[in-house]
Amino acid sequence: MSDKNYAHPDALVSTEWVAAHLADPRVRLVESNEDILLYDTGHIQGAVHIDWRSDLQDQTIRDYITPVQFATLCERHGISNDTTVIFYGDKSNWWACYALWCFRLFGHDKVKIMDGGRDKWVAEGRHLTKAVPHFNKGRYTALAERKDDEIRALYDQTLAHSRDGRALIDVRSPGEFRGEITHMPEYPQEGVLRGGHIPGAASVPWKMAVNDDSTFKSETELRRIYETEAGLHAGEDVIAYCRIGERSSHTWFVLTYLLGYKNVRNYDGSWTEWGNRVGAPIERG
Amino acid sequence: MIPAGLTRIIGLFESLPDAEKRESLISYAASASKHAPRDGEAFDLEDVRKDEECTDTVGVFLKVRDDGGCAFRITLGPQVQTLTKAMTAILCKGLDGCTPEEILNVPADFVPRIVGADLVRLRSQTVYYILTRMKGVVRVWSNRRRTA
Repeated sequence: MSDKNYAHPDALVSTEWVAAHLADPRVRLVESNEDILLYDTGHIQGAVHIDWRSDLQDQTIRDYITPVQFATLCERHGISNDTTVIFYGDKSNWWACYALWCFRLFGHDKVKIMDGGRDKWVAEGRHLTKAVPHFNKGRYTALAERKDDEIRALYDQTLAHSRDGRALIDVRSPGEFRGEITHMPEYPQEGVLRGGHIPGAASVPWKMAVNDDSTFKSETELRRIYETEAGLHAGEDVIAYCRIGERSSHTWFVLTYLLGYKNVRNYDGSWTEWGNRVGAPIERG
Repeated sequence: MIPAGLTRIIGLFESLPDAEKRESLISYAASASKHAPRDGEAFDLEDVRKDEECTDTVGVFLKVRDDGGCAFRITLGPQVQTLTKAMTAILCKGLDGCTPEEILNVPADFVPRIVGADLVRLRSQTVYYILTRMKGVVRVWSNRRRTA
């Protein structure tokens, strides 16, 4: 990935690299998708399935699992604290980036994305299997608490960020940003009462960061999109959001790992929280 | 009122443990392409379109037989999710031979009984979409027949 001049090129691996490391015991492949049954139809040999909703989120409160629950999840999949976890999935790696971001909440920093995701692997005619792998139980020491403060923004923090005029990136579609629609194009309504965007946010749809084959664009192209056109500055404190935090995880990954921004947070409450919150300020147009 | 063919499929799914239920859904999804129109088939109504809230194009083809029973063929774009593919095959099989009235009266609340409540999420609501489209085609066909 060094030819694309990324700030942290080690955060990406190619499909070729993955194919050459299928039996590497230091590496665990994790598939994370929007299509709930896609993993069951066939996956990369040795890949385990982690579901954004049933595995990573609390099943009652809208929040994430506890560090102890995360450690249990990792151990079940043969992941230890020193395991390098490679994420890939459908939708140009939306949910792979979301799962990676969640792993970072729990302090697991040895994480990478397979560039191009599942679509690229399939397009290249690479092998898929339905065999579910079983690994020896990992040994995982849980953090005392999640590292939410570093990479996650909550409503009050985002509101203060907006009022201070600091950088906000809205990664939804232009129609959602302008408040013309309250759902993603091609998706059902997810229960939002108001349309628009957080005051001061710049519109940079997530898709601008990827090529047609779902791989990430080069550092030069990304700087043009996020800095020249959207007005971000290297080193700036940025909050990204979408509807429920998955597309903005993708942008969070781009800004953090590919462009090297040190203070990027994902507002995972996103528009399904903001657009329903009584009294939340909204801009339209 | 759920037709007998669909009731049998629902009963089968309800009897399965979760792992086998998933396997059956995958199996149905894999067979969805068998329900596409075949060479030489003629239909009474064809409705091929991509709705704003669906990820890809879906085509619904209706043939009403002389005995009044309906037969459906369905085409799905490549971006359609696995659950939706599975529901396509289930509905084509479970509603085969039903009258237009029976199809229009099928309630949508059977879906969680097949899919399982934890698989029906906001992002998976298109599992209901295929039934809605099938009913839509039947409704148009019925209206045209009434006014002919």
